[in-house]
Amino acid sequence: MKNLFAVALGVLTAIGGFVDIGDLVTNAVVGSRFGLGLAWVVLVGVVGICIYAQMSGRVAAVSGRATFEIIRERLGPRAGLANLAASFLINLLTVTAEVGGVALALQLATSVDPGWWIPVAAFGVWIVIWRARFELLENVTGLLGLTLIVFAVALFMLSPDWGELAGQALQPGPPADEPVATYWFYAVALFGAAMTPYEVFFFSSGAIEEKWTEKDLAKSRLNVLVGFPLGGLLSIAIAGCAAVVLLPAAIDVTSLSQVVLPVAEAGGKIALSFVIVGILAATFGAALETTLSSGYTLAQYFGWSWGKFRKPAKAARFHLSMIVCLLIAVAILATGVDPILVTEYSVVFSAVALPLTYLPILIIANDREYMGDRVNGRGMNFVGQVYLVIILAAALAAIPLLIITGAGA
Amino acid sequence: MNDEHDHDHDHDHEHEHEHDHDHDHDGGAGRRMPRRDPRAPRGRVLDAHLHLLDRQVLDREGVPVTTVDDLELDGIEPGARIEPGSPPPTLTAILTGPQLLTRLFGGHAPAARRIAIPWKLVSAVGTTVRLGVDADSLDASWVERWVSRHLIGRIPGGRHDPE
Repeated sequence: MKNLFAVALGVLTAIGGFVDIGDLVTNAVVGSRFGLGLAWVVLVGVVGICIYAQMSGRVAAVSGRATFEIIRERLGPRAGLANLAASFLINLLTVTAEVGGVALALQLATSVDPGWWIPVAAFGVWIVIWRARFELLENVTGLLGLTLIVFAVALFMLSPDWGELAGQALQPGPPADEPVATYWFYAVALFGAAMTPYEVFFFSSGAIEEKWTEKDLAKSRLNVLVGFPLGGLLSIAIAGCAAVVLLPAAIDVTSLSQVVLPVAEAGGKIALSFVIVGILAATFGAALETTLSSGYTLAQYFGWSWGKFRKPAKAARFHLSMIVCLLIAVAILATGVDPILVTEYSVVFSAVALPLTYLPILIIANDREYMGDRVNGRGMNFVGQVYLVIILAAALAAIPLLIITGAGA
Repeated sequence: MNDEHDHDHDHDHEHEHEHDHDHDHDGGAGRRMPRRDPRAPRGRVLDAHLHLLDRQVLDREGVPVTTVDDLELDGIEPGARIEPGSPPPTLTAILTGPQLLTRLFGGHAPAARRIAIPWKLVSAVGTTVRLGVDADSLDASWVERWVSRHLIGRIPGGRHDPE
């Protein structure tokens, strides 16, 4: 019974933890412009993140080494540093987007200008990282994030033309009134939103925080293989709601209030309050994960002591670097830049940075010095390499598409 | 291995230590090395580049100290010709701190600025380099101690376990 509870908890946490500000915004934007025409990208992204998370979790549990320790060992100091710089900066952009997302969710709840909420959000993130246990922060935000299921409920309550939605999903391709490049730009953005590198820094470092051994791998596989696809379904529901309400009305998504508009229309104030709690939990959880990831990547490259299982004074540089990152995020948001815009850029650049961390993990997962006989099997390597090609293609296409389409305008 | 409160660690590293001397480096269970070249050194052969540089250094309790930023060799002059039959150089220390910059950008760090962990403190080499002493006893961890004492330790709650 206790085991069943632990399994259920893990799966639920994975569902709630899958969606962050990047998924919320990108799926709504895509739904309002292409309907479900890009739902296939979410599927590709979900399978990708399952493979990637599973592989990095296994590497962490078996070898006891986290992602950036391995990247430095394998790539040496120079290429490792270039990798760190790219990954770290993109992660910092994501921290900024998530903290901004928390502020926007609080604005939705209170109508108080997000400028006031930004320092509160950042302080909240810091105090939780400073004081709360790892399992606690993961479980609470994951479970509260489950209220985002209201997007799926809303989709049913809107009683859409299911045939039309299925038609959009099954006949992918750019609609007549949108340029082909824009379609592919959003495909890359959606892929980047589903497969964000921080998820893996967090997953592999988290495996070490929670002292995983090989015995925990079966549990983690279940969490990943059940939780992430269900999280992906939530993503598609967000796009579906936008496709039903925003697409016919030709409403462009430029703020969170437009993201939640279909839910409010379907379920009124009660649904709206659920969705606000869900967005708050999802962005807050992701803000915790990205902030921790910035500390993890730096500490692991330089060999500092790290981990939430230690007292802060026993991982001093790790905690200091996270405080500095949060201050930088607040400073960026204080310039008045739109958090939604930061989010849109962060998901595209996530796609650019993805191969930098994916490839070393794939290589180590085949290295017997680290993995003993738990190296990748043939099937895993085949799928892993197919994804390597997809990830490289998305990374190479991202910046040209960003320029050609003027960021999807 | 990252567990600070790992009660078994002493036993564990003893075991690792034996393991280093007895077996070949791919860790084959109980498999002995094939017949050696008589001139080859006894024990496990480490490739400094592959097995030492950029590895994580852990202290006696498994606390990360630093990464192996560089190595100090004795008995060899950089740039000088090595005469045949001259004695092999010895590994004297793990270098860290400014040494990372010289590996990134080239050049030499002044000897006074070097932060070294004497090689004799190393107790085991696996996927990490383990030391037989506590991190706090090393010069190499002065930055961590400084940040801990003057910044992080002064923030309320900084010296408590997370709840």
